[in-house]
Amino acid sequence: MSEVIVVTSGKGGVGKTTTTANVGTGLAQLNKKVVLIDTDIGLRNLDVVMGLENRIVYNLVDVIEGNCRIKQALIKDKKYPTLFLLPSAQTRDKTSVNPEQMKKLVEELREEFDYILLDCPAGIEQGFKNAIAGADRALVVTTPEVSAIRDADRIIGLLEANEIKKTELIVNRLRMDMVKRGDMMSIQDVQEILAIDLIGAVPDDEQIVISTNQGEPLVGTNSLAGQAYMNICRRITGEEVPLLDLESKGVWSKFKGLFKKN
Amino acid sequence: MEQPVIIKSNARGIRLIMDPDISFEQLKYEILKKFSDSGKFFHNARVALSFEGRNLTEDEEKQILETIAECTSIEVVCVIDRDAGYEAVCERQIQLADELRLGRTGEFYRGTLRSGQCVECESSLIVLGDVNPGAKIIARGNIVVLGSLRGNAYAGAAGDESSFIAALDMDPVQLRIGSVYGRSPDRGAFYALKNRRKTMEPQVATVQDEQILIEPLTRGIFQS
Repeated sequence: MSEVIVVTSGKGGVGKTTTTANVGTGLAQLNKKVVLIDTDIGLRNLDVVMGLENRIVYNLVDVIEGNCRIKQALIKDKKYPTLFLLPSAQTRDKTSVNPEQMKKLVEELREEFDYILLDCPAGIEQGFKNAIAGADRALVVTTPEVSAIRDADRIIGLLEANEIKKTELIVNRLRMDMVKRGDMMSIQDVQEILAIDLIGAVPDDEQIVISTNQGEPLVGTNSLAGQAYMNICRRITGEEVPLLDLESKGVWSKFKGLFKKN
Repeated sequence: MEQPVIIKSNARGIRLIMDPDISFEQLKYEILKKFSDSGKFFHNARVALSFEGRNLTEDEEKQILETIAECTSIEVVCVIDRDAGYEAVCERQIQLADELRLGRTGEFYRGTLRSGQCVECESSLIVLGDVNPGAKIIARGNIVVLGSLRGNAYAGAAGDESSFIAALDMDPVQLRIGSVYGRSPDRGAFYALKNRRKTMEPQVATVQDEQILIEPLTRGIFQS
């Protein structure tokens, strides 16, 4: 049984592509067959984050227009043999594809894969409509900022209108120190407005920037963000995983905590 | 028929009796002439209109209504069939329209209204859910939100400033009642959220001295 999941946010720059890359890689680490589709035609970058840019021969638009077979356009990941990427076209725009074509493509991929992850472009126009067309489930990514939350709210409304029943929230780039000082919205604050199920919270972590630069998703590593992404993957597969304690910053701060108590 | 168009009227209704044999274009012209002559008599009247003597298509009815609207100040509240107890029907229809206007009837909306969503209502509106920032609710009558009102609300949309807006948790971006606007304090969306819990109690907004007044929703507040 395969599942088609769209990663979306409305606002740009909140971490859709990073989330897609890490969740996809994490699911592959859990031995699932996964394909990532970059639907951001004209502004592709999932391939860069995955470190697969140099392997692109054919792309999404080539497949849709029948210039190649799906198999030819799929790029196998460097590390994980069950992980594939269908890159977007850089020299075309969103009007090259329509929702019906996307639906058809996704249906074909269902036979081959356990999870099909769609990286949605920012905005609510054609690109968004293409990305959500064939989806069963949506991960809405937001940061704890008012502007991102406004857009996430709009997106959730549009997903409801398009009858995507399972919509879950990822709060990205959380800074617990700021939340504690009352300078940043907490997960509870965000949930109170958006009122949908939370599937994970990812702390603001400089390791993310480093991993993105290297083209190697950090999911599954010891970093806090790496653990948080892995937990999201396990929750996607249906496992019950408690929310990560984002305040303990590893072994060192636990030690410091001990000393403080005494 | 001696005259191609005859108007018969009482206080609440106009009967338009038309010659069945002339062309529709001719008929329209005759109606225009008739109403232009007697338009002053019906100055600003709100009436129910009935068509007699001729079977009209929907489109023809519409064209005639447009003609009347163009050349007179008559407001046709509704169009009715001629047979069923004519005056009683006129009276009842107008009463219904008035009730809507006065907000004596209402509609329910179940669910959360998210950014970009808008609900408009010809009567009063009761929302069973939240109204998020960026969402908008508009009603001719009153508005009651059984949830958090964090978006925009516009009551008395036809100009009735005696309308009210009530919410379990009143934290709107902007309120409007009739032609009076009120907006939230300039503190930014983040601090609005942070401060909200302190003031969480049911509140009601009304117009007082040309300003929006928000006060706690207490027993007997609607008696005065």
